[in-house]
Amino acid sequence: MYSVENKDDERLIWSRFLKGDNHVLSLIYLQHSNSLFDYGCRFTIDKELVKDCIQEVFCSLMRTRNNLSETDNVRLYLLKSLKRRIIRELKKTDHQPRLLNDQDYPFDLRWSESLDDQLSELDEEKRLRLADAMQSLTDRQKEAIYLRFNRGLEYEEISFLLNLNYQSSRALIHRAVEKLREIIRVPNKNFGQVLLAILCHSREHAF
Amino acid sequence: MEKYRDYTAVDFLNDESFLRWISEPTQKENDFWNNFLKTHPYKKADIKEATLVFKLFYSRENKLALNEQYDLWKKIQDEAKNSKRTIFLKLAKYAAILILVFFSGAVTYYLYQNGGQQYQYELAETPQTTKDEAMIVLSDGSQISLEKQMSQISYSQNGQQLIVNNDTITQKTPTEGGLINKIIIPYGKKSMIMLSDGTKVWLNAGSQLIYPSVFSEKTRQVMLVGEAFFDVAKNTEKPFVVRTTDISIHVLGTRFDISAYPEDKLIQTVLVEGKVNLTYSGKGILNREYSVEMKPNQMVVVNKSTGESRSQTVDVSKFVSWKDGMLEFEKVDLVRALKQVERYYNVRIQLADPMIGSFKLSGKLDLKEEPEEVLNVIKLTVPIDWQKKSNGDFIIINK
Repeated sequence: MYSVENKDDERLIWSRFLKGDNHVLSLIYLQHSNSLFDYGCRFTIDKELVKDCIQEVFCSLMRTRNNLSETDNVRLYLLKSLKRRIIRELKKTDHQPRLLNDQDYPFDLRWSESLDDQLSELDEEKRLRLADAMQSLTDRQKEAIYLRFNRGLEYEEISFLLNLNYQSSRALIHRAVEKLREIIRVPNKNFGQVLLAILCHSREHAF
Repeated sequence: MEKYRDYTAVDFLNDESFLRWISEPTQKENDFWNNFLKTHPYKKADIKEATLVFKLFYSRENKLALNEQYDLWKKIQDEAKNSKRTIFLKLAKYAAILILVFFSGAVTYYLYQNGGQQYQYELAETPQTTKDEAMIVLSDGSQISLEKQMSQISYSQNGQQLIVNNDTITQKTPTEGGLINKIIIPYGKKSMIMLSDGTKVWLNAGSQLIYPSVFSEKTRQVMLVGEAFFDVAKNTEKPFVVRTTDISIHVLGTRFDISAYPEDKLIQTVLVEGKVNLTYSGKGILNREYSVEMKPNQMVVVNKSTGESRSQTVDVSKFVSWKDGMLEFEKVDLVRALKQVERYYNVRIQLADPMIGSFKLSGKLDLKEEPEEVLNVIKLTVPIDWQKKSNGDFIIINK
């Protein structure tokens, strides 16, 4: 509700910030702080660390203002900068060898609890298969899915954050979507009803 | 619309407009896709499938609490201030803005409109209970104190003049758009304010209202912390919107009451007449945004922590009687009733035994009396007694 509605306004705010108007930084902060916080919390359960990193992101944004350009994608810049900082911090504190590689960091993605309730009407086997399919996703697949569906990023943007090319990030998501779809597809009377219930539920709250 | 005719579920999930529709729909998208479903009923199955996959993948979000968001912002500001790398002049300007914006410990929200017109809304995290002074804060930061127990304020149609308890105050309004004003009513006081569009708002004790001096936007928006009764002037062109931390109410012209105190777990909306739309936009995921259409004599209670709402038919007069200096209860928990008495008189009332709080109270309380009198009336209906402590606090004991 408080967010900046369209891309033109976003560009306007960005260009005012680059010209030295610090007043608009609070706008940028308010618009992005919650999505940054959520993205950060996917990498670690240490919420304070995430907050510290968000703080650094905005402070460095002010320091490096002169090196930034009008055409920069603000949201992407912030997400990338936050991710880099968090992984750097995790490497420092976390002594797990798996974190040595930039591609190996964990990513938390699980479906919402309210969906859990609705899925409980589903027969045990289907539910397990869905849960299984979710669990079998790789961390990078989870991250790509998250960026696509929770953050609404486009494939180019996802590739940039994951250091992948366009095709690979598309394929990551496509494979995951197909997997779930196969399970859902199997005709099943009960499931149809649940599906309907979920849909009715979501439509009711559409606006 | 034609391109969607042969779309599969996977294609839909690759479509930006479709994704926006199932995550954060605008009116435009709702219209488009509902219409599409109507004209292409055979696509329903694919759309259902795509939606379910989306729901399965849409993950629960972590959100910063309002105070966390504010604290973090303050840290960023502090660090920026301490940074010697910034030119001093810039810094001075910056600090001045900071003081203005965060003077009252509030998080500032801006609403940018097309053409860069800027509006600033301050949403206080909690009403300033420490300050006992009722006041109006003008957009330039100047304060007008409201000395009376029950203040009357009204704005002229162009928003340039406001009359406060018979004194006229003039504020310069920019040619475009209005100035953001804020009224703060501490515990123990009340106020009635008439906004520039003729809407009347009765603010209950411990409440704040943020509003523009003139409503130049497409909607008439105000923000509320605490409780208020609204008598909205009818204007079908410009809907009236009341925002609170978790819900917003959209109306054209009607009368209703909202109680959204930060310390209460519930937000309560009661509709007296007309029609309003209540939209929840708080936490919770699949239902992180929904709306309920309310009918007269209906009360909708939204639980702030779970986002759940329930509605029931009520006798509305009991919920709005406070504005006439009366409190009316029907089988209300004593603890809730005492909370209202506390706010009204700005006194502390403690319970010697928490069990006392669950007594049910029915009846009318005349708030023109002293708090002692009010407690004596309560004493007649529930088996309690009260004592006054040396610090002025009241303590309720079992009889």
